[in-house]
Amino acid sequence: MKNKLIASAPAIVLGALTAIAPQTFAHACRGHGTFGACHWSQQAATGIGAVILVLGVVALFSGPKTRVGLNIAVIANALLLLAVPTFLIGICPGAMMHCRMVMLPTLIVLGVLAVVFAAAGAWLDSRTRA
Amino acid sequence: MDTHVTLGGLPLANLARKPLRTMALLAVVTVLSIALFGGTMLGMNLGNGMRSMERRLGADLMVVPQNSANQAEALLTGSNSSTFYFTRDIARKVERADGIAQATEQTYISSLAAACCEEKLQIIGYDPDTDFVIAPWVASQFQGELEDGQMVAGANVNVSVDGTIELYGRSWPVVAQLANTGTGLDNSVFINQRTVPDMVEASAAVSKRVMPEEYADKAVSTVMIKVKDGYDPQTVAANIKRLDTRFADLGYVYPGGVTAATKTALDALTGYMAAFVAALWAMGVIVLLAVFAASANERKREFASLRIMGATRGMVDGVIAKEAAVIGAAGGVVGVALGALGILPFSALIGSRLQLPYLQAGPWTVIGLALLAIACSTVVGVVSSFAVMGRISRGDADIILKEGR
Repeated sequence: MKNKLIASAPAIVLGALTAIAPQTFAHACRGHGTFGACHWSQQAATGIGAVILVLGVVALFSGPKTRVGLNIAVIANALLLLAVPTFLIGICPGAMMHCRMVMLPTLIVLGVLAVVFAAAGAWLDSRTRA
Repeated sequence: MDTHVTLGGLPLANLARKPLRTMALLAVVTVLSIALFGGTMLGMNLGNGMRSMERRLGADLMVVPQNSANQAEALLTGSNSSTFYFTRDIARKVERADGIAQATEQTYISSLAAACCEEKLQIIGYDPDTDFVIAPWVASQFQGELEDGQMVAGANVNVSVDGTIELYGRSWPVVAQLANTGTGLDNSVFINQRTVPDMVEASAAVSKRVMPEEYADKAVSTVMIKVKDGYDPQTVAANIKRLDTRFADLGYVYPGGVTAATKTALDALTGYMAAFVAALWAMGVIVLLAVFAASANERKREFASLRIMGATRGMVDGVIAKEAAVIGAAGGVVGVALGALGILPFSALIGSRLQLPYLQAGPWTVIGLALLAIACSTVVGVVSSFAVMGRISRGDADIILKEGR
């Protein structure tokens, strides 16, 4: 039970935050005439957050070996989350723009935490004998 | 499965078999490490910003239009951008006052915020021929002559890949981009005074005109003054007021005073922060001592057994010290990682929200600070364990075992 919580709760919480933050306080810059890169990064991050959330929920009802796989998927998604605003899609170039000041650091923190917790969860479950 | 625990591996095995106690100790050390690393880095960054601001304020006195002193002060500390001006003939008269060693004129224009940007851009027109304020630090990155229509951009200004800035519907060539200063100058662009009328015309073409057409070529926002030796800025201000009765209504800003006021606010902030970190460390050390003391009593028999099996007092002390060192180092690393994650990515946001000069320390300083925080956490863990070592290893192992029977 303890391992199950360690392997699933962080993904649920961080996935939910990743899905919600870019649509609320860590939003993209507003007021672009047309949608800029930061808007598409915001939308992609929300989708990735939803996937991480679902993986966390599924992990809650799975066995240890499955949870290892699910956490590896969380790590892959979290790395994708880090890659989206940094080089896959990008954000606005200005240092004082909201997307760079708030959205990017928020996504980086959430992504790094998701990787660390998922790796810890996978490691714990991999040591459990089936 | 047989597990063979050696004396060297015993501390780690002990920690692994008591996960709750290990996690509790780890949590305490992590909080201490976050407080030390985070608090010190914030204080250091504010100090860097302050020193950077002091270096950028080269004038002893600023003469600004009536009712504009507060805007000028906000501009100095970097908390706001604005447009204010009087005419050049007033500036020239001001410059004739007794006690002035050097005087130069600057014109400030606050651009309309670009649709996507959080902050307005401050456009600063200066006269390269008389300037003694901006040129000295611009010179570190740009040594040529700033031609008409060219710009020098602050660190936070968004310069496109072709080396231009899109402003008022026109592309302005950027000849240099300055290093980060942690002040409002990072959100500024510098142009020569002859470019100011062009900028005003460009603003009129695409949005609200930033100043009336007739003022475009004679608007001056401030006269920056360096006083002669033996004069103080207040005396020179009094001399200026004596030149013309209307000059009594002008605004007089003393950058040294602004710096002192900002420094006082900053000192108070860093003082509170240091007191908070110190209090947290004092409490943390007490908690660590309490936890180690409690576990010492609980583990008396465990260590007595080790002694019976042939371990010397030094070996038992070594096991206790290693456990404490592992917890201290691990807590230190986790604390530094969390602190760095909370501060480094949000550096621009923290600087913008504090409304104080804030300049992020360089990577080597951050690495040094991280190592210091980890070392301090480790030392605190080991020193706390010293307090219980004597109590555990001093007693006679045989008696301790019998007592517990």
